[in-house]
Amino acid sequence: MRRFLVTAAAVAIAGGLTACGSSSSSGTPTGSGHTSAALSCTRPGLQHLLFKPGVLTVGTDKPAFTPWFVNNTPTNGKGYESAVAYAVAAQLGFSHSQVTWVHEPFNSVYSPGPKAFDFDINEVSFTPQRAQAVTFSDSYYPVQQSIVALKGSAIATKHSPAQLKTYLYGDQIGTTGLTYINTDIQPTRQPKVFNTLQLAASALEAHRIDALITDTPTAQYMAAYQLKHALLVAQFPTVGEHYGLVLAKGNKLVTCVNKALATLTSDGTLAALQHKWLGIFLNFPTIKP
Amino acid sequence: MFTGGGARGTVISTASTVGVLAIFVLIFVLAPGARTVAHAFFYGRDMWQSFIGDPRKGYYSVGAAIWLNIRMFLAAEVLILPFALVIALIRQSTHPALFPIRVIATVYVDFFRGVPLLLVVVALGLGVPGLYLPVISHQPDAVYGVAALVITYSAYVSEVYRAGLNSVHRSQVAAARSLGLTQRTALRYVILRQAVRNIIPPLLNDFIALQKDTSLVGVLGVIEANQAASIYASTVFNYSSFTVAAILFLILTIPLARFTDRLIERDRRRRLAGVAA
Repeated sequence: MRRFLVTAAAVAIAGGLTACGSSSSSGTPTGSGHTSAALSCTRPGLQHLLFKPGVLTVGTDKPAFTPWFVNNTPTNGKGYESAVAYAVAAQLGFSHSQVTWVHEPFNSVYSPGPKAFDFDINEVSFTPQRAQAVTFSDSYYPVQQSIVALKGSAIATKHSPAQLKTYLYGDQIGTTGLTYINTDIQPTRQPKVFNTLQLAASALEAHRIDALITDTPTAQYMAAYQLKHALLVAQFPTVGEHYGLVLAKGNKLVTCVNKALATLTSDGTLAALQHKWLGIFLNFPTIKP
Repeated sequence: MFTGGGARGTVISTASTVGVLAIFVLIFVLAPGARTVAHAFFYGRDMWQSFIGDPRKGYYSVGAAIWLNIRMFLAAEVLILPFALVIALIRQSTHPALFPIRVIATVYVDFFRGVPLLLVVVALGLGVPGLYLPVISHQPDAVYGVAALVITYSAYVSEVYRAGLNSVHRSQVAAARSLGLTQRTALRYVILRQAVRNIIPPLLNDFIALQKDTSLVGVLGVIEANQAASIYASTVFNYSSFTVAAILFLILTIPLARFTDRLIERDRRRRLAGVAA
């Protein structure tokens, strides 16, 4: 749910295209980092970079949302982000039991000072500005925004570009939805920004907003399972946004994490995991704002 | 007003102030992570950007958003003063026929002093619209926010009033009644006049807290200063916007705090003068 617009160049990767080498034009501080040598990306070789020796410490927020996690339990390996974390860990030589999870609230992911995790996986969108405070891995998921609305509401059927401007939107704090709304939809009324997705959903159910903007998998899950009378209206075309793992600023572990992600992309693992955990969530009409 | 002992006192207090400040600044500057923290919390560019805002980049002006806090505060204050007085007078009443509303007033005060304000804001802001009542279910979020502030703060302020009413000695009532004033006239011209003077400092104290608590209304999705700062921080990953919000709130509350101090001091001197005479 934490996402942000990016330059189109920085994206491409986890869309199942090619390995990181192709994104050389991104010019982002995270880069692909494959050039720095002398770092052995095996478990023994990484010891000095780890928060806790011997184990890979992964952070995420509570509650951990479906379909990114399942049953709010990151340790079960279920849900897309949990599965990706374990897949990256396996690439780096960590077994399932050598991965520990820590609760990391979204707002403290970017606090100054030492981090209590090796990487954080929490639907955080890469942006160049954010990359000044933390180090991002390459993409593990390309993001598209979707509209969730109540069944029978006007936006469910009337969503031409001109009509889209007339609605009152809601969004969760720290997400790219707000940027998308203001840049691409340009509504006439100021959107509302809620501290949590649950509050935004409550506002939707109480008719305080016409629609909620969030990433497509989350939107579909909310429409299908969480909210009784809601539906996913449509998704918007990609604007080159992607989710990345978050590491402490300058953490060299990112080189190995990116290598792992590149392997998982080229051997089709990421695509398979997306199909497995997000597959049913991704077939929706795309409309233009 | 803060210093005593004339010119020498001023010198000593100034030197001590500078010394204490220097220690804090040194601790901050010499800390190993000082630069990172300074960049995260006090970065000029981020402070300015969050102050002016840019919706296209996903954040709103903290400077513009504080205006909503000011309006909510003023509206709430104007409503709290009379409402809290009514509650206080009900609780102070003695007539047997008023017993049921005395109970209601007591329960009201106990309840809303005990329930976190945030919960009242959420309950009103999301609950009332869900009732689909004509008019009252279709208000802007700020209106529910102000309603929550009025309901909760009136409970506090009514207790301040009550303390003020009780602070006026019983002999004053007796004297007023013996002069032939009715209960009501005595209350109005003798009791309330003296009570109000006693309660102005604690009342202003509550209003300073009220100014800050307007930021809780942000939970309803409205862009007030704290919410705008929060949006900026989570969008850009820099907390300098919170520093901007803090400065703006200080600009609002410090004059009121100093004014309260002056009132307290003036009142103290007046009373001492009375004793000396």
